[in-house]
Amino acid sequence: MTGSPPPGPLPDAAAHAFGGLLADARVLIVDDNRINRHLLLALLERGGITLIEQAEDGQDALTRMERFKPDLVLLDLMMPQMDGFEMCRRLRADPRWKSLPVLVQSSLNRAEDRARAFAAGATDYVAKPINAEELLARVGIHLRKRAMLRDLERYHSRRETELELARAMQARMLPGPDRLAELEEATGIAVQAHFAPSSELGGDFWGIERLPDGRVTVYLVDFSGHGVGAALNTFRLDAICRQIGSTDMTPAGFLAAVNRRLCGLLPSGQFATMLTGLIDPVAGVFHYASAGSTAPMMWHPGDEAPRLGDGSGLPLGLLPSASYDSRQLPMPPGARLFLYSDAAIEIPTGDGSAGGGGHEVLDEYGLATLFARRLHLSNDDDLLAGLLGDLAATGPIDDDLTALLLTRRR
Amino acid sequence: MDYGIELRDQEAVVRLRGRLTFNDHAKLRTLIGEMGQNKLRRQVLDLSSLEFVDSAGIGMLLIAREEMDRAGKQFVLRSAAGQVKRVLTVAQIAKIVPIED
Repeated sequence: MTGSPPPGPLPDAAAHAFGGLLADARVLIVDDNRINRHLLLALLERGGITLIEQAEDGQDALTRMERFKPDLVLLDLMMPQMDGFEMCRRLRADPRWKSLPVLVQSSLNRAEDRARAFAAGATDYVAKPINAEELLARVGIHLRKRAMLRDLERYHSRRETELELARAMQARMLPGPDRLAELEEATGIAVQAHFAPSSELGGDFWGIERLPDGRVTVYLVDFSGHGVGAALNTFRLDAICRQIGSTDMTPAGFLAAVNRRLCGLLPSGQFATMLTGLIDPVAGVFHYASAGSTAPMMWHPGDEAPRLGDGSGLPLGLLPSASYDSRQLPMPPGARLFLYSDAAIEIPTGDGSAGGGGHEVLDEYGLATLFARRLHLSNDDDLLAGLLGDLAATGPIDDDLTALLLTRRR
Repeated sequence: MDYGIELRDQEAVVRLRGRLTFNDHAKLRTLIGEMGQNKLRRQVLDLSSLEFVDSAGIGMLLIAREEMDRAGKQFVLRSAAGQVKRVLTVAQIAKIVPIED
């Protein structure tokens, strides 16, 4: 029953391996036998552990845990009042102790006893008589594992906080409801927007700006890839767009200027697609240029389907000398303009009916068809919500999805 | 995405199959290494069996082009179809990489 630790010092290697980790570790010994407790205490101290608490049974241990907050429990099984099995079960029922290492040391050595102990929540099992080196080695392993787990949890929670912050920063970069209401009031252009990053942070962003002369610029950007890297690039590009300004530039000139700036900044393999446009309400025209963005869709009152613009153009950040075509679509009062990121046309349709063997995606034409079916809705909010519902029903969307619906109210 | 390399007299033809997306980053890195190692000067990516490419995939093709440039090799995209062809066309990739039918 009493496993006496072998006399003499432990091998150097074992003592070294435990290092500073053990000096700070708090270990609770639970055993009804005083001699056993003292043996374990002496053993742990020899291994470099100094913060040790002792309990006489399960009930006593549970009470002491509240105050002592152990990093590891050395638990005997056969004890009066509350045995080790019961204590282990109760401890695991408390979320605070879910991952606490519980090292059972017992003279119950049958396979069924071990199985019962593990079923009750034990982390590990050593048989009495105790072998000092084995016990210390196992204590060390579990403490190291716990320290690493804590590190990981701390890192995880810090990362969560930081991502949350970045998400909020990114959200602030986009025009808020107040600014959109102001824009509609001043220009008669109503904007409905949907922005849904596929991971914590997105590589999409968009903006809309009223110019002093009454025209309105709008742009939609989609960085290659998604996640943190793409999101950082959205901040960069936002800053560049603000620096360049666009007041006297054509959309094509603006894209060329942004491209020149971005070429020096983006590492190889990264780029952005961008559509930038200028709504001229007086002339009733939407002037635009595109760097490999999606085709803008324009609907005129009375039409059955939207007209598709041309989104072709070299993406930003690839070739400093790239130039962009100036394009235009008529935009009379009542017209609706739909802009979207490529996630909307890369949704797998999965039916394979087009002969693609199930690899077909919803392309521009598929999207235009869905859009056309919703055009009877006079409320833009309903229209966009309906269309997004159609997209979600089409198939999984695994990239950042941005969708903008701009309506000329007058 | 999978690929197979066929070494011909004048060119190495790499046939890409399946979907080329961000998840294939490591695989494409390996592929670029293999393309750099074979002796042929002309490296052709045959895209006829590629079903889908996303923006990250396009980015990786552009990295491949740059690496081939650096290795003094010629890099060509061939036989794109369907969505892959549409994406290459919209992004006007032909302006920076030779594309053959």
